[in-house]
Amino acid sequence: MKKSKLSLALLALIAGLSLTCSPLSADAGEPTDQIKETVDAVMKILNDKELKRPEKEKERRINLRQTIAKRFDFEEMAKRSLAAHWKDRTPAEQKEFVALYSDLLENTYIRKIERYENEKVVYLDERLDGDYAVVKTKIVDKKGLSIPVDYRVLRKKDKWEVYDIIIEGVSLVNNYRTQFTQIIRSGSYDDLVKRLREKVIK
Amino acid sequence: MKKIDLELAVGIFLLIGILSVGYLSVKLGNLDLTGKRGYTILAEFEKAGGIKAGAVVEIAGVEVGSIKNIRLTNNAALVELTLDDNVKIHDDAIASIKTKGLIGEKFIQITPGGSEKILPTGGKIRDTESAVDMEELISKYVFGKV
Repeated sequence: MKKSKLSLALLALIAGLSLTCSPLSADAGEPTDQIKETVDAVMKILNDKELKRPEKEKERRINLRQTIAKRFDFEEMAKRSLAAHWKDRTPAEQKEFVALYSDLLENTYIRKIERYENEKVVYLDERLDGDYAVVKTKIVDKKGLSIPVDYRVLRKKDKWEVYDIIIEGVSLVNNYRTQFTQIIRSGSYDDLVKRLREKVIK
Repeated sequence: MKKIDLELAVGIFLLIGILSVGYLSVKLGNLDLTGKRGYTILAEFEKAGGIKAGAVVEIAGVEVGSIKNIRLTNNAALVELTLDDNVKIHDDAIASIKTKGLIGEKFIQITPGGSEKILPTGGKIRDTESAVDMEELISKYVFGKV
């Protein structure tokens, strides 16, 4: 009698515990959800057979760019990449720079993304720190090779926007920041704009 | 009278000797007796990758401070940096763990940012790059993963 009561109590305890400990996938927060939404949308465009036809290439690229631009804060990225030199620019120059910078990213990355096929994205972890968060993911390709990709996001009202990507431990913004500072130091800001323009036209 | 003078001279000489040895050990051991030099800020890395307390912090290759201590907090490495007072770090600065040469010692490199906010004492550098594990990278791309 006493024993069965005890086991009943234990059972109740376990049931209670399992209720409070929600599974790991359920406590993915807002930043992860929003990144996932964009990644899913990008994957949908990439896997769309209709859009894969050569004559639709332009449409596909525009679609991709729009989807990505909604989640990425190119202005913040450009500002962080220019670092200390951002403040010295006039608003018109800043605007021009942001446009050039997003074209640069588009040329370098969208073309790479376009070749992706059947890659899977696994969401690993999320770290929240006030208005900032990091969403850790990895991309797994057909061969099983996995590449860790972390998104650094910033809250703008109720939207989380990406301001840096860390691929295989290397930060995109830091890479550009080092290069831009070097170009400006050895020449001038105009040299940097000239070089970016050449790169974008190519 | 003369004897006392000699003993006094020896005593003073010995005292100077002891003080010099004390000064030397503090200087050589990089001991911070006053603990007043510089201010501390924090940086959280996903992987500390073999960096140790006492390692150098650099901006543009110039030494601006050192690592005070490293501890584990929610599965990340929280590194405490002591920086010189005249060095100001913006809150969008990026701290990276780098290696001197291919197999040299590890150090922290700060790439200065340009935001309006300067990190206060105890502030945290949010954007960090962990040590890139060369061996892991090479094996991954050379041999592929099973």
